[in-house]
Amino acid sequence: MRWLAGAILWLYPRAWRRRYGVEVADLVASRPIRVGEVVDLARGLADAWIDPQPIRSLQLAAAPTAVVPTSVPTRTPAHGVVTASIAGTVTRRSFLRRMLGAGFGVLSLEFLGGTVAFLWPPPADGIGVEHRLGTLDEIRGLWPRWTEGRPYEFRPARAFLINVPAARSMALGLEPDSTARSAADLLALWRKCPHLGCMVPAACEERGRFQCLCHQSTYNILGEKLKVGPASRGMDRFPVRIDEAGVVIIDTREIVKGPPTGTVTFHDAHPFDQGCV
Amino acid sequence: MSQDLEELGRFAEPSLLILVSLSNGPKHGYAMMAEAEEIGGMRLGPGTLYAALARLEARGLIEALPSDDRRRPYRLSALGERVLRARLDRLGGLVRIGQGRLEGAARG
Repeated sequence: MRWLAGAILWLYPRAWRRRYGVEVADLVASRPIRVGEVVDLARGLADAWIDPQPIRSLQLAAAPTAVVPTSVPTRTPAHGVVTASIAGTVTRRSFLRRMLGAGFGVLSLEFLGGTVAFLWPPPADGIGVEHRLGTLDEIRGLWPRWTEGRPYEFRPARAFLINVPAARSMALGLEPDSTARSAADLLALWRKCPHLGCMVPAACEERGRFQCLCHQSTYNILGEKLKVGPASRGMDRFPVRIDEAGVVIIDTREIVKGPPTGTVTFHDAHPFDQGCV
Repeated sequence: MSQDLEELGRFAEPSLLILVSLSNGPKHGYAMMAEAEEIGGMRLGPGTLYAALARLEARGLIEALPSDDRRRPYRLSALGERVLRARLDRLGGLVRIGQGRLEGAARG
């Protein structure tokens, strides 16, 4: 604690220290030090820099008092005014002091910057926000193969939007005879493989399955884990809804874990223990 | 320089305590702190004390005295004495009015 008080004292402006430094150091040294005193010194430090008082050169009153012998009124005290001006030169001491001050400054800027960055709202796209994709008709317009059951790749949310009735038909090798009409017919699969987080590529043309390129974890068109690959569950999902205006909304603020391996509600037309090809 | 302690902001009260403690003779920082606590009931930290001392000295209300050791005594200047007197007069008036009103309220 005492060294801290000393360090704070050392950071006071030079003129201030010349004039009061010795006295204050003595004062600090002669009393039991407390946290409150260190804080008070720090506040005094801020005050001395923000509102520096004109420091009078030590014109000692040549007054007869009980405290001081009158015989030495003109003596310059050892810690009084430094008469030789060295303005303009950088001494080792002032250099080190400025470096220390600059270090503290940079450190506090870093803290401030980190805090601001931490508290900044998340970016408007990506994971952690609601995405408005447009109406079902607009999605069909953007991706005509959606009616065939091919997943719609919506990049901002890193998701595949599955037209469930059509996708089932497609995976069974049938002509789609129905299409999504409500949110219950929609599935938004997160493209991050639940094994180690690789980006799952688009469903393969031949079998309508998803297969992660990293370790061949294979999922059916509803994102359920099949036999092949190390993943321990199906692909994770985001809640999907359709608002009053008919706009499909994917809510990436919530991530619903995929069903554990072994839970398969839909069997496509291809062998369970094979991958895509 | 200035005749009013009010412009010292948050150092006005410590300054008043310092001037009062110097009114019966020169004292150094340690003694001022002890007295501020004793007569003013206020713990003055070293930072606050010397921020106030620097202001009082810059305004010519107190003067530093030569010293043999590391503790430097300060004394009230003539200006400081006038300022303190004026301040205490005004405070005294305020005290009398306040007490009178409180007495009146207690009776009425």
